[in-house]
Amino acid sequence: MPDISLIVALALMVIKVFIVTTILFVLPLPLTYVERKVAGHIQVRLGPWRVGPHGLLQPFADMIKLILKEDIVPDKADKFLFKLAPLMAMLPAFVVYAAIPFGDKWTIPFIDREVTLYIADMNVGILYVLAISGLGIYGLIFGGWSSNSKYALIGGLRSSAQMISYEIAVSFSAIGVVLLSRSLSLLEIVKSQGGNLLHWNFFYLPVGPVWFAIFLIGSLAEINRVPFDLPEDEGTLGAGFHTEYSGMRFAFFMLAEYLALVTVSVMSVVLFFGGWNAPFNVPFVPPILWFLGKVILFIYFFMWVRFTLPRYRYDQLMTIGWKILIPVSLVNLIITGLMKI
Amino acid sequence: MSGKERLNIFELIKKVVFTDFVKGLSITLGYNVRGSMTLKYPDQEKWIPYKRFRGLHTLNRDENGRELCVACELCSKACPTQCITVIPMEDDTGRGISDRVAKVWKVDLVRCLFCGYCEDACPTRAVRLGRDYELACSDSSCNLKQREELLVPQSVPESFEGGVVAASTFEASPAGLRVKADLTKTKKRPW
Ligand code: SF4
Ligand code: SF4
Repeated sequence: MPDISLIVALALMVIKVFIVTTILFVLPLPLTYVERKVAGHIQVRLGPWRVGPHGLLQPFADMIKLILKEDIVPDKADKFLFKLAPLMAMLPAFVVYAAIPFGDKWTIPFIDREVTLYIADMNVGILYVLAISGLGIYGLIFGGWSSNSKYALIGGLRSSAQMISYEIAVSFSAIGVVLLSRSLSLLEIVKSQGGNLLHWNFFYLPVGPVWFAIFLIGSLAEINRVPFDLPEDEGTLGAGFHTEYSGMRFAFFMLAEYLALVTVSVMSVVLFFGGWNAPFNVPFVPPILWFLGKVILFIYFFMWVRFTLPRYRYDQLMTIGWKILIPVSLVNLIITGLMKI
Repeated sequence: MSGKERLNIFELIKKVVFTDFVKGLSITLGYNVRGSMTLKYPDQEKWIPYKRFRGLHTLNRDENGRELCVACELCSKACPTQCITVIPMEDDTGRGISDRVAKVWKVDLVRCLFCGYCEDACPTRAVRLGRDYELACSDSSCNLKQREELLVPQSVPESFEGGVVAASTFEASPAGLRVKADLTKTKKRPW
């Protein structure tokens, strides 16, 4: 006879995983809409407008289009890898969320049971997130390699080179955060930023903002977003690694990309902006709303950047990664270490 | 020398605090909040051009309803693309202002480049370029405009000042698509 509390805990875990996965699956729909609206308004246009009121049904129209599209596998492609690549890109994007804390504890009304608003509190959460989100690159490389197309291949190569260069800087900024919060667990990192605004890692002057800048630039490069979206540089590469993909397989890549965007926003909030902690004492606002609000601001920020900055050249990308970000993070690491003695 | 060095330090500081990025971002933020300049054409708004606009040709009549065109063929001679065909005939029933009127007056809109030379050449100001601009159709039937069609007054009256955005309705019928502008409900364009 197994312990009843074990079963309940297990059931809770399954429910939480289910909820998070569902949300993540649906999330790209509003995100594509918002991205196009933001693009439209920044370019003084309207964005989607005709499908439904204010174009609200546009994502569904897109979804139908993507599902109905012919699924093309090029004749000379490596069929197995070609089919595997979208999954390889998509899975890590989901798996990352196992470690991300959305909030602390929450008591379900009526049955008086405490649930934790995270799936797992890993003691090395920050390493887990970095490692798993790094795995997503395999999807891009496999996709580029297996399509047997020069553009896709170059796109895949670029993305791997970019990943290697910037992963270092991002990891350094993670070390910085670990130094500031004295823990590798994301939960502890958030808790260490409790209190008010000034306890956030970002406001740990003078090193906080520098770590944040390094993290921001590095992760922008890692998730292949403008201004570092060289793997899918339309001007020179067609569409980069997903040139040969169509229909749902392409949609999986898009899904992975949007989830990566959300992951980076969430990580910025968790590592530097106090997670679910309120910036100052405001009664009646549940912590999860603070968390969501900050994440939404970040997502907007990334879209805003996307439609403002032009794309960097490839050599500039490498220069920024190796010659600026890594030396700066080394220096910053020393300063942080000295400050924390 | 020292001036140059100071400049470099200046540039460095600028780079460190991302002034260029901040500038760019604030510009795009301004655009983001200022609202769009897209006209909700065709089903809500329609642009009514200024009088000087050069759209579809119109053939005019004088105040007694007689055709102003005297079939002198000057317009077809002046036209750089030779898209106007005028065939004159004699008529003393008072259809035109003289006893020479056009039997055929047609313009091939596919070739017309809306330069307005025809209206400059016309001695009687019979041909004018009007303000109708929705000239597309799904077959080639609307490319050739005949005299009879051009003699019908255009949708925007000559007296209307123009240069405004009018409220409009979109009508789709088997006879074709039509965007009807309500000239009483107008506003200046938002940009
Ligand atoms: S507008 Fe120019 S091109 Fe067109 S009919 Fe008149 S003269 Fe010819
Ligand atoms: S429209 Fe004017 S220029 Fe052309 S034939 Fe008639 S009168 Fe002459």
